[in-house]
Amino acid sequence: MPEETPIPYTHRMPTIVSTSLIVGLEIHVELATRTRMFSRVASMAHPGAPEPEPNTLIDPVVLGLPGALPVLNRDAIELSIRMGLALGCEIATESRWDRKSYFYPDLPKGYQISQYDQPLCGEGHVDVQMPDGSTHPIRIIRAHLEEDAGKLLHELPGGTSIDFSIVDLNRAGTPLLEIVTAPDFTSADQVEAFSRMLRNTARFLGVTEGVMQKGHMRFEPNINCELTLDDGRTVKTPVVEIKNLNSFRAVRDAIEYELREQPKRWLDDGLEMGAGMKSTRGWNDQRAVTFLQREKEDAHDYRYFPDPDLLPVTIDPEWVSEIRRDLPEVPHLRASRYESTFGLGPREAEALVDEREVCLFFEAATRAAETHGLAHDVAGKAAANLVLQVGLRLANEREVLVSDLGITADQVGAIAALRLNDEIGSSGADTLFEALCESDEDPAAAADRLGLRQVTDTGALGAWCDAVIADPANEKTVADVKMGKMAAVGRLIGGVMQLSGGQADAKAVRQMLLEKLKSGSCS
Amino acid sequence: MSDASSMSLIEVRDAIRNGDLTAESAASSCLHAISDRDGGIGAFLQVFDDAALESARAVDRGERTGSLAGVPIALKDNICLNHGRTTCASRMLETYESPFTATAAQRLIDAGAVIIGKTNLDEFAMGSSTENSAFHITRNPVAPDRVPGGSSGGSAAAVAAGFVPGALGSDTGGSIRQPAALTGVVGMKPTYGRVSRWGLVAFASSLDQIGPFGRTVADVALLMDVIAGFDELDSTSSPRAGMAVSPTLSEPVGKLRIGVPRQVRSEHNHPAVVRALDAAITTCTSMGAEVVDVDLPRLDDGIAAYYVVATAEASSNLARFDGIRYGHRAALSAGEGLEDLYARSRAEGFGPEVQRRIMLGTYALSSGYYDAYYRTAMQVRRLIRDEFDAIFASGVHAVMMPSTANPAFRIGEKVDDPLQMYLEDLYTVTANLAGVPAISVPAGVTTEEEGDGTALPVAMQFVGPVGGDEVVLRVGAEFEGGRVEG
Repeated sequence: MPEETPIPYTHRMPTIVSTSLIVGLEIHVELATRTRMFSRVASMAHPGAPEPEPNTLIDPVVLGLPGALPVLNRDAIELSIRMGLALGCEIATESRWDRKSYFYPDLPKGYQISQYDQPLCGEGHVDVQMPDGSTHPIRIIRAHLEEDAGKLLHELPGGTSIDFSIVDLNRAGTPLLEIVTAPDFTSADQVEAFSRMLRNTARFLGVTEGVMQKGHMRFEPNINCELTLDDGRTVKTPVVEIKNLNSFRAVRDAIEYELREQPKRWLDDGLEMGAGMKSTRGWNDQRAVTFLQREKEDAHDYRYFPDPDLLPVTIDPEWVSEIRRDLPEVPHLRASRYESTFGLGPREAEALVDEREVCLFFEAATRAAETHGLAHDVAGKAAANLVLQVGLRLANEREVLVSDLGITADQVGAIAALRLNDEIGSSGADTLFEALCESDEDPAAAADRLGLRQVTDTGALGAWCDAVIADPANEKTVADVKMGKMAAVGRLIGGVMQLSGGQADAKAVRQMLLEKLKSGSCS
Repeated sequence: MSDASSMSLIEVRDAIRNGDLTAESAASSCLHAISDRDGGIGAFLQVFDDAALESARAVDRGERTGSLAGVPIALKDNICLNHGRTTCASRMLETYESPFTATAAQRLIDAGAVIIGKTNLDEFAMGSSTENSAFHITRNPVAPDRVPGGSSGGSAAAVAAGFVPGALGSDTGGSIRQPAALTGVVGMKPTYGRVSRWGLVAFASSLDQIGPFGRTVADVALLMDVIAGFDELDSTSSPRAGMAVSPTLSEPVGKLRIGVPRQVRSEHNHPAVVRALDAAITTCTSMGAEVVDVDLPRLDDGIAAYYVVATAEASSNLARFDGIRYGHRAALSAGEGLEDLYARSRAEGFGPEVQRRIMLGTYALSSGYYDAYYRTAMQVRRLIRDEFDAIFASGVHAVMMPSTANPAFRIGEKVDDPLQMYLEDLYTVTANLAGVPAISVPAGVTTEEEGDGTALPVAMQFVGPVGGDEVVLRVGAEFEGGRVEG
């Protein structure tokens, strides 16, 4: 046997030529059911639920008292199916509950009721609309239903520090839909666009109230990078899961942080993606860094087994069809429709779909305007203007939704028609809108009563025009207009509007002024 | 005044109804009997003297009525009551007070029953002799040097000793029927789902059922009528309507066909059990029933499947006893943390048998072992259910087999041999695995020689199809009435 000779070894640090990002996302959505997933005690994730004192929204089931048993809340199933359908998921016909066992003080029973191998929603697919108008396809792997855990408080409510922890079970047992995507994201932009779309959709469908600060939606990105090296090789960095992010900003920052750090870590330790290499990190919002929580994915044995306290859920396809039939058009599709049909800008369209109630109010106002004879596209544009301008301004002032201002969608539709038919001017429309927030009066009658009708009578308009042109203060402006400086006419129109107390039809005034100055009849 | 301690439950009920006995005197004679004699038996963990008397006086004042008005009843101490403690005979719950009452117990109370106290059991219902109680053992009233069986040994002994005319127990693998057999009373495990489990501290959720003890089948039927029925608080509760078998219990069942599994004619049966089985067949024949041989080939596998399923579920059900919210919490020393809190609280709070079963169950559910143990056990369970289905599909109304292979054994005889103890459940676990109803009815005694000077009871059980609770009660009642001594 020949003697072994050591192979000459020269160490050369490879250079990273390019880095591409790979992200998969897990999203926990707290469902807005009235009661908990397996008990009848009220749920904090229900819209309008008060912020209760710790451990006041509890019962034997939530506490996991001896002898207490879970009873399924059917509403949680329905909301999950709604979300699943919106994500294009297959809905299971038979689903099952499994116990996931581990000890932690916020987990009352020592196990979480979850779904292991028969989730409610299977594979799905969505196209994420990017701000630049492009779309990016994302595969959904599954969405399963489980119960949320409680919370550990490390200081007293009010901020007094303590040398122990408080277990607050108000949140325990809240239905939680866990949506898992394939690792199909290649940029933080895509993740953010998807996350925003998911939130809007979930809110629109009534699946969740979606208040990020309350933890209604929690994001857990799984992040790694593909590095292309100068020797032509590509390597993948180990997957890092970031736990419990509850703002879009944090999701974006954490991903971008990992995108910067993972190549450096690889240069440092050379570790690559593989079985047992996954680590879990937390996010420090103040310092904007991730920090290690669990080195390698511990082979934690959750000892899943079917929960004998609960029957499997059989889902009638008929019921799913019913839910699908009643499923409203999702917000991002609505927004694109508003852009193309009503000629709205993306910002305006987004603003209209931001709140479900406002969106439905807007659509009802559009339909009302149509009943007053406006064409669909014109009606939508006019209703959008009213809702987004005077409506949003008043809503912001009064801290309510446009739909809760007191004015009805029918009234808004009628105002839109009055405005489009030039029966009232734009400031008249604003005044009328505001007045009708306090009154259920017919908008046309109210316009009369409030003297908002535009004056189109040529006699009256002519007199006001003449007076303005004759005013010595306007001498220079008049001269400018005569010399062809059309922009100057605005000042004169303003003068006429002032004289008329806002009732003159600005369009007619402009036309009349131009005619008078062109013909020189007043010079 | 009549002495309630020698009367059947129905006799007590009727005596109170007819004015021959006040509810207060019925309760008070139970309480006296307990204070006089339970020191030597240990059936009770708690006795509600004042509350029981007050509840009885309310019956006498006409404020509480119902089909059990004034009838004294005892509850196994794993059934929650919003009065007193619910300990499960465990240090873990030694001072635990439940804020709510189990549905089955509430139905008794709503029917006018007077709850006398909470009875002893093997800790968390894990055992077959009531020797695993953390507090004290219970002796068999028939032979005080012997066990009353378990785990509902306290309830069985309370009825057998004449402390109460009826009691509730729970049956996960025979925990009602085996102690009923060993103490010479009647005990029934209903169809799974027939009686709500809400408020029964879970041992093995897919097997547990609350059921009644009484001196006669009629007593047990009356209690079943009260406690059975749908409960929206228990997802596994059967939507089948409640029961009303009591008024028509004595009506003849008609041409009965009774199956006796070949597998229960075992060489391991005690001679008295062999004689009792033969005599029982004669009794059935004399009742006009046709007795046929049937097959239950998986009978022997039942015990293995049972101990995998039951321990697996127990390991999960008992995880909630972590010292955080209620129950025993270990006092930590400096430097000890959360893991120590869990480990020490559970090590101090649970007795050895409970710890053994938690470990067995944890192992059976572990990744890599799940298929070999839990999944296989569930498949065996399915086969056993299929075997019962096939027997009932062939026209058999009820299967008859011994409740146990042996009469009551001596205290301490099997405590160091868990496997031998587990085999106590050989004839009873199949009914739990299959979810079918089964009633244990006294069917003879040993000779005094065989029983060391005492004639020890042995019993037969009648097993019916799913939902056939009324059938097994009627068959049991007819057997009880027509029994031919062996």
